[in-house]
Amino acid sequence: METILTLDHFSKVYRNGRGAKNITFSVERGEVVGLLGPNGSGKTTIMKAITGLTQPTDGLVEIFGAEVSTRREQALSKVGALIEQPALYESLSAWDHLSMAARYYPQVDKARMEHVLTLVGLAPYAKERCGKFSLGMKQRLGLALALLSEPELLVLDEPTNGLDIEATVEIREIIIALAKEKGVTFLVASHLASEIEKMCSKVLVLYEGETLAWETKEEALRLHPSLEDYFLDKVREKKGPVVL
Amino acid sequence: MFMANLKNELFKLRRRKKYWVLLIIGCAISMASALRLLIANFITDGNVAAEAREVLLGGLMNSNLLFILLLFLPLMAVMAVSDLYVGEEADHTIRFALMRPVAKEKLFFSKALAVFLLCAFDLAVLYLVTTLTQVVLGGGTRGIGSSLGACLLDLVPLAVLILFFALVNQLVKGSSLAVLLCVVLYLGLLALGTYMPSIGGLVFVGYMRWHNLWIGTTLPFLAMLTRIGLLAGYGLVFACGGYLLFERKEA
Repeated sequence: METILTLDHFSKVYRNGRGAKNITFSVERGEVVGLLGPNGSGKTTIMKAITGLTQPTDGLVEIFGAEVSTRREQALSKVGALIEQPALYESLSAWDHLSMAARYYPQVDKARMEHVLTLVGLAPYAKERCGKFSLGMKQRLGLALALLSEPELLVLDEPTNGLDIEATVEIREIIIALAKEKGVTFLVASHLASEIEKMCSKVLVLYEGETLAWETKEEALRLHPSLEDYFLDKVREKKGPVVL
Repeated sequence: MFMANLKNELFKLRRRKKYWVLLIIGCAISMASALRLLIANFITDGNVAAEAREVLLGGLMNSNLLFILLLFLPLMAVMAVSDLYVGEEADHTIRFALMRPVAKEKLFFSKALAVFLLCAFDLAVLYLVTTLTQVVLGGGTRGIGSSLGACLLDLVPLAVLILFFALVNQLVKGSSLAVLLCVVLYLGLLALGTYMPSIGGLVFVGYMRWHNLWIGTTLPFLAMLTRIGLLAGYGLVFACGGYLLFERKEA
């Protein structure tokens, strides 16, 4: 198996003491890896470091063997990402955004742009200004932008945030299909254990910026009825018994 | 990737109406200055004969350069720089480019080049409009060539000014504060050069009318070289300082 992404003793600690500490894991081609943890557990910090939005205070982040902080262009050439809320210009349309993003990828043509818009269900709104979009529509456009270049690694932070049930299922199906049929590698962060359980083959459990567990889904579910129970069990192990 | 990002920055600037509105206002002021000259002459002399029009309006662009170079283009540059740097950082839209395979130095300098090209485009439009006004109102073609040369020369200090604004943008977090700080610093430096001529030659904004140095034979070659070196030095310091701060920023 080919290693797509490596985090080696990665740490990023902000001034307030939060962030992610000593995180080590690697992702193989075609895997769908979930980052599971509550708000403030370091999921977004890890994703920001992977996409070059933040610099590690310690450790290494490599994509396709290229270190993100020193070889940005090479490392990010086959990566698509959606971090927190999508970065959109309110005065530009969905089509404008795709046109701008397409300039960075010579292989992307008009047909591909139309395809991703149709895939996320935004084709009828292609020429509308993003300022008029609902949170769900913005999220869909963010996903279209992440998928545009047919990336080999997709980094998605809370991809179903703001979406209704139907759209959530659609996005989940897209992720599963892309991983199975095209071998696309995914790193998906969520604070919802059920979401991770339905999509991912491996899970990294984070809590207060530290790794609590790094296991395959099968292994995690061997002794637990659900990923939620697994997560709670791991948190209790770390925090110790609750004293009333 | 530099060109891809440059095209995107230009696209974003082109889609903002305020720059078009500002350009239209600039053109209107340039045309109004010609009419003002004619009306003033009509009031004092009671006529605007063809000869008088040629004298009054000949070299209209040269007389308008003071407004264009010291006020209009710096204002345009301040707004555009703040939109592309600190404005995008504040609303996180800078992530759109940061998450793409483009190196940060290419991002920083393509933004600065986009602002420079916007200002150069505006200067070209103002030159055309002013020159046309001069010709149409009977001012002839006097000074058209020299004012074109002056415009081209004055793009040099404008580039340094844009890099200075880009550096200032790395020091603050809010777009409004960045605009205010740039304007205050620019006007302060202009005032310093005006009211303290002894140090005016050392302040880079003192070279905004760069073409004045090239007119006539008042300056010896070595003095010219010193001033070119000084401006290049300022440009280098602003470019390096701005990029270093930009590179360390996190989105």
